[in-house]
Amino acid sequence: MSDYSDKELLTLFKNIEKRNFAFNLIVRKYQVKLYWHIRKIVIKHDDTDDILQNTFIKVWKGLEGFREDSKLYTWLYRIATNESLTYLKQQKTRYLLPLVDYENQLKESLESDEYFNGDEIQRRLHKAILDLPEKQRIVFNMKYFDEMKYDDMAEILKTSVGALKASYHHAVKKIEKKFKED
Amino acid sequence: MKNFNKKLEKFKANSKNPFSVPKGYFDDFPSRMQDRIISEQKEYIWVIRLFRYVKPQFALAFMIITFAVIAYGTVNFILSNRTTNGIDNELYTRIMEVDPTEFSEQHFLEVLFEEERKVNDHKNDEMEFYIHYLVDEDIDYGTLIDEL
Repeated sequence: MSDYSDKELLTLFKNIEKRNFAFNLIVRKYQVKLYWHIRKIVIKHDDTDDILQNTFIKVWKGLEGFREDSKLYTWLYRIATNESLTYLKQQKTRYLLPLVDYENQLKESLESDEYFNGDEIQRRLHKAILDLPEKQRIVFNMKYFDEMKYDDMAEILKTSVGALKASYHHAVKKIEKKFKED
Repeated sequence: MKNFNKKLEKFKANSKNPFSVPKGYFDDFPSRMQDRIISEQKEYIWVIRLFRYVKPQFALAFMIITFAVIAYGTVNFILSNRTTNGIDNELYTRIMEVDPTEFSEQHFLEVLFEEERKVNDHKNDEMEFYIHYLVDEDIDYGTLIDEL
């Protein structure tokens, strides 16, 4: 794994001769984190793979104009999140599915996914998470699984810290209710 | 709520990530990504080359279209202004009615002078009428000045 800092990677990327090498290092450094972030949103491995590739293609095209107003890490997460949400929207409009039906499909794919090896409690937890509205689900995943700071989340999702805290609080309450019902 | 939060934390600490990936996925991904970037670059270079090739033709077509639009606009502008000249419509019709084939500058001037003469004749008639009135009514110049 690369030991380069984000700043060093960006400096390296600006050198045209080393651009490919720098990009390869960026992919190696962030592929795992971004993969899991996307996977928890779209559930299926194949879809995650497509979205991750599209995310890095966008990063490749946009990195030259990256002004470093935000951290590289939050910028990458923002692209991955937007790509995932765009993918979900496309799926819903492609099959003209209402929101509830599409989430049911995701739950079914959780049952049939050969790359899901969780026990019964984990399956229940992930199903309860899938019942949350999209944005709330992303907030919950980022806070609970990725243990991200609210400040970074606010930068990625372009929302206030207060709104994110409220969103997480509501998400936990809904999951608790779902657990009690089952 | 607090209890459930603790439960969630405990649950996370005791469990592994339930999702998995195909074997060697993260080892292969960077090279797959590199291949895709190279093919994207090739595609981009092809588009750039095509654009460079067609750019002069597009520029020429754009110039011709611009020139045609400007020419059309100018001709339209001139034609629309032509009818709104200083000559009164009736006079213009009369000039043209005489004989369009024999229309000349001289003829045009004659008609204009004739128009002016008519106006002057009309003024002279008015003047004579006032003089006759003053003579008939026997009003002398002094009385008229006093009245005014």
